[in-house]
Order: sequence, then structure tokens, then C-alpha cells
Amino acid sequence: MSRPPRLNAVAYISAAQSPILVRTFVPNKQDDLKYHYIAHTSLDVIEERVASTSKLGECYLGHLYSMEDLAVYGWIAPSKIKIVLALALTDAVIKDQDIVTLFKALHLAYHQALSNPFLRLNISPEVANDPAALVVAGDARWKSLTKRVDAIGKAVNEAP
Amino acid sequence: MSIYGPSASSSLVTPALAALSQDSNRQVDSVALDYLLIEAVRTLRHSSKIATARIRATEEEMIAEGLLPPPAPLSAVPLSIKADSVKDAVASQREARIAEEEEEALRVRLEGMGAIVGSNLAERYSKDKPRFQDTLDTVKFICKDLWTAMWDKQVDNLRTNHRGVYVLQDNAFKPLLRMSSPEGSADALRRAKIYLAFPVGVIRGALSRFGLNAVVTAEALTLPQCTFQVKLPKGQ
Repeated sequence: MSRPPRLNAVAYISAAQSPILVRTFVPNKQDDLKYHYIAHTSLDVIEERVASTSKLGECYLGHLYSMEDLAVYGWIAPSKIKIVLALALTDAVIKDQDIVTLFKALHLAYHQALSNPFLRLNISPEVANDPAALVVAGDARWKSLTKRVDAIGKAVNEAP
Repeated sequence: MSIYGPSASSSLVTPALAALSQDSNRQVDSVALDYLLIEAVRTLRHSSKIATARIRATEEEMIAEGLLPPPAPLSAVPLSIKADSVKDAVASQREARIAEEEEEALRVRLEGMGAIVGSNLAERYSKDKPRFQDTLDTVKFICKDLWTAMWDKQVDNLRTNHRGVYVLQDNAFKPLLRMSSPEGSADALRRAKIYLAFPVGVIRGALSRFGLNAVVTAEALTLPQCTFQVKLPKGQ
């Protein structure tokens, strides 16, 4: 019986191409930089895909590329934020629909964390609209996004 | 599909994940929003009056102690008026200026509230939709989905000059629908103006979430009809 694919890392990138959050689920902490690099290189591929499929208006960008033992998938929301997923390659066939569900869960987590009314409590109005600045500025309060992403990671990786 | 047949553990989507991807469909009575907006204007007006009075008192203290330069003199009063009425005229000008400042502070606060609500609602309702092709699509989304979510109807008329200016017209705008004043329609119009600040903020917030930084203004010529003008800078 083939093992289910493991979720290795998730990256959120804002509309201004700056990273919002990069979260890894691998036991080896030194690989974090690798996933930052993966998120960065995905940006080029995403731009290309977006330019070529702009007529269709699909949010799911599909399989972007594969690297070593990882498969990278991309998603772009109407609000122009991008989500990049790195899955550990296995023999199992991965259905597109499943990846879409995973992206929907991640986007929902982002939306719920951003809707926290106390996120912008003591921040100046210019900063308030930029999610990347919010991560830095609203540091303690943005923990909820990290917690939600961790919950999703657990749901995928620790399947019963 | 593996040769052992489909089984729950070879699928990426566990029941827990499926649960996390569904948005809870919580709903709120739309009447609650109407009441909230009415009360918000009243309460914030009172609150901002106190806040600006406090700031003014500190300013006056600092001027008295010489820490701040005195305020610029008000516009010149015509010399033909007698001494008493000069004092009255200056006092009433000062009062008018204070009232204007307070109204402006209230408007900015309501618009700020609207911006946050608008951007969050825009994200929520656009989650399941395909990406927008261009600016017109985004404005149409606001006219249809956002307006229906907040005011139970769509915008009645959308006009554009295709150069970045959009005019949204609503012939029976819900917040203005049941407004009237015992002093006549002109007075009702004047007092209704501030209630347009929140919707202006909603439109501005929704557009900014999609990356469009617009300048939004609202106008009401006859209640309950009103128009919102959206100006997008070149290149967007």
C-alpha cells in the first residue's frame, strides 16, 4: 500500500512578491532555507503561468515544477496572494482535486487570521493594508496564522 | 489508483483536512448591520467630540505656556461691521471651524472602519470565484456580490469612462431609505451625508484588497438615491 504524500512546506507570498509566511513540516530544521529558496523560484514560474492562462482565470495553477524529491504546486487568489506547496514525492497518484481542497483550506486559514479585528490595533494606517508588514508589525497577533497552518499540516501528515 | 484498491490512507484529503477547508456558513441578521451603522454614527460623533475637545484643551494649555505658536488668524472680518458683531462673527467662525473638524474626524473614523470591513468581506466572497480578468471585473464584483451581501440588492447603475473612473448609482440605498427630517428635505440631505462615509470606506477597502488604490467619494442629491464615484490612478 503506497504511503500518502507528505506535506513538507507551505509558503504565503503577498501581492507585492514579499513573503508573508514560510512554514515547514520536516524534522530537519536546517532545510528551512531550502524551502525559502523554493518559494522564491516558484514566483517566476507562477508569473509565467499567470500570464499564459489569464483568460481562464483559474486560481489553481497546478503542478509548477519538480525538484529532487519534491513536487511544487501553486495557487493564486483573486486578492493576488500566492500560496506555494511543497509535497514530498511518493509513488501515489495525487489527484488535482485533493490539492485544490488543500489550497482552499490554506486560503481559508489566511483569511480567518487576517480577519482578526485586533490585528491592526496599534499600527499606523499605512502599514495596516500590507500583509507582509503586518507579519512583522503585528507579530504576536499573527501567531494565529502559524497555528492554523500547523493544524492543516497535522491533518495532512498525521493521517490515521 | 494503487492495485490494492482505493483506501482512506492513500488519499491526501483526510476527514480533518476536509473539515478545515470548509468555511463555516455563519449568518447575521441584516437588520443588525443597519442598527449598528446608525448607532455607530451617533456614538462616534459623541466620542470624537470629546477626543478633539481634549486635544484642543492640551493645545491651548501649550499655547498659554508659550510652547506652541498661536493659531493662524481666521479669515478677515469686513471692517464695516460694528464692534459687538465682530466679536460674535469671530466666535461663530471659530465654532464653525470646530464643528467642521469634528465632522471630518468622524468621517475619517467611519471610513477606516468601512475599509477593514470591506477588505475582509471582499476576500471572503471572492474566495470561491475565479480570478478577475481586469479592473472592470473587480468593480462589477463589488457592485454585485458585495452590495448584495451588505444591502440585499445590487447596484442599479454602473457607468465608466474606461479611463479609470467608475460611477456606481444606487436608486434606493438601504441606509438612506428611511431617512427624513422634520426640517425639510434639504436638512435631511445635509444630515445624511455622514452616513455615506462607511459605505465609501467599504468600497475603498475592497478595492485595496485586490490591489487597486482608488479615491472614492459619495454624493446624494435626492434621498434615497446616491452615487459613488471611484477614481483609479493611471496604469491600474
